[in-house]
Amino acid sequence: MSFRELPHTADIKIEARAPTKEALFSEACNALMQIMYGKDRRARDTIELVVEAGDTESLLADFLSEVLFRSEVDGMVFLNADVHIKGSHLHAIMHGEPFDRDRHVGGTEVKGISYSGMSVTWDTNGYMLEIIFDV
Amino acid sequence: MIEGVTRVGVNEWEVPVGYVPGMRVPGRFFLSEPLAQILEAGALQQLANVATMPGIIKNSLAMPDIHWGYGFPIGGVAAFALDTGVISPGGVGFDINCGVRLLTTPLEQKDVAGRRDLVDGLFHAVPTGVGAKSAHKVSPKALDEMMVKGARWAVGNGFGVPRDLVRCEEKGCMREADVRAVSAKAKQRGIPQGGTLGSGNHFLEIQVVREIYDETAAAAFGLRAGQVCCMIHCGSRGLGHQTCTDHLKVLEGATKKYQIALPDRQLACAPITSPEGKEYFGAMAAAANYAWANRQMITHTVRQVMGRMFHIEYESMPLVYDVAHNVAKMEEHTIDGRRTMVCVHRKGATRAFGPGEPDLPPELAAIGQPVIIPGSMGTSSFVLKGTQVAMDRTFGSTCHGAGRIMSRSQAKKQLSGKEIADHLLRNGIMVRAPSDNALVDEAPDVYKSSDEVVKVVHDVGISRLVARLSPIGVIKG
Repeated sequence: MSFRELPHTADIKIEARAPTKEALFSEACNALMQIMYGKDRRARDTIELVVEAGDTESLLADFLSEVLFRSEVDGMVFLNADVHIKGSHLHAIMHGEPFDRDRHVGGTEVKGISYSGMSVTWDTNGYMLEIIFDV
Repeated sequence: MIEGVTRVGVNEWEVPVGYVPGMRVPGRFFLSEPLAQILEAGALQQLANVATMPGIIKNSLAMPDIHWGYGFPIGGVAAFALDTGVISPGGVGFDINCGVRLLTTPLEQKDVAGRRDLVDGLFHAVPTGVGAKSAHKVSPKALDEMMVKGARWAVGNGFGVPRDLVRCEEKGCMREADVRAVSAKAKQRGIPQGGTLGSGNHFLEIQVVREIYDETAAAAFGLRAGQVCCMIHCGSRGLGHQTCTDHLKVLEGATKKYQIALPDRQLACAPITSPEGKEYFGAMAAAANYAWANRQMITHTVRQVMGRMFHIEYESMPLVYDVAHNVAKMEEHTIDGRRTMVCVHRKGATRAFGPGEPDLPPELAAIGQPVIIPGSMGTSSFVLKGTQVAMDRTFGSTCHGAGRIMSRSQAKKQLSGKEIADHLLRNGIMVRAPSDNALVDEAPDVYKSSDEVVKVVHDVGISRLVARLSPIGVIKG
């Protein structure tokens, strides 16, 4: 599993790869959290997320939008996510910790998940996504 | 220039119908030769995509700070007929009513030179960066009032003076706000963030007026050479971001329901007359009002800090103007010789109403609307005035800023936060940011020169230069 930042002038474009769709979603969440809060994130608390959406791209956008929402209103910084997908239903167990001004400052606030330039593809090597975060 | 585009004036270019399938009108954009060389093909494609949307009037337009966004290009302007047209969150952006305001002070540069405590004082008083929470947590009832009344709510609650309101676009309040169309999630995000700056390209700057190009307009706006001013650049925070996210999903469904064919999913839209379109507009207006209240609250904090530090009166720091540069508005424009209400989307573009327009305060009616164009960190910002040419050509719109040319990932490879802060300090600019990273992301080198951008809008005539300001203190979000 891995992600990297691709060149994009105005916003942040991410490419991620993973062996399964679930791991791919988890990696996208990892990218989002790293951009916002940096690498020093720990797993102390757990929360659950549930999202429903019609297709894979919408499910990904809604999942990440929900991560943004919960992170902001709960004041949580997530280390990783155990993602389970069944059809149009996503259930995630999020591991993280409360926002810590000393360790989590320094990132860039993501305003939203863009459908422009979003793609989720797969081949024999596994799953890949490209996504743009509006910052 | 990119193939398929025609030059139609010194700084004016046309994207013909057919550049992408389904265009209903041509695209028009304004660029000088140097700016044309760095135009991205993706931005042009987005400009052409907007021209495919139902009910678009005259042209899909872009200002000289055009760059690749999502949905509309950044710098994009489009007006839609109220009966046949559509409204789209992709033409507004996630940060609804991201905007800029400029305050003047009675101080001169010598009064504030080297005053690191001013930059530190403002940095501590105005919450900035990711995870920042407000000192003014509002009740759910007060939040609703903020969204209905905008800047008027803030002034009514002691965060300003009534005179501030006449110096705001729309007097700081869109009357179409519908708080019922704002989700519980958006409200939850809005409660703790009133009076916070946010992050990214948002900033608070102490600036000095360096040049006056138009004495009459400058005097009417309250500007004079050598004067210390304060510029505030921020938007509707999480409440606006969530409102865009929520309605994008609804409008995606509406796009299918009303069988609107679109080349890009991020252009999701609904007829202006449809329930979905009306709900988005009502929610967007509520978020826009939240942004005006937010900038008003920050203004209050700035006045308190500067008043305490320099023993100056609260009332001696009047507002020049406040403009929104990510918004959709119902405005009256002259179309084919007739005054007609249209829905104007400005996505990274600034309203630039010319003399005589009804929304202008009486004392500025003969001059035109003040247009505030923020520079990138460490570079000049500009004040311009709106013109009749803008009314005739661009639905009363002009540019909004500099426009990025370097990605954040590239900036991180090439630049370091400490080097940038040192470089700025050598140029007489004190900077405070939540982190080094924030400095690198927004370093001057990653932006087009705003000088070149404003020169184009001045030469085309869609706004005219009034004054140039340069920063001496920067608080980054």
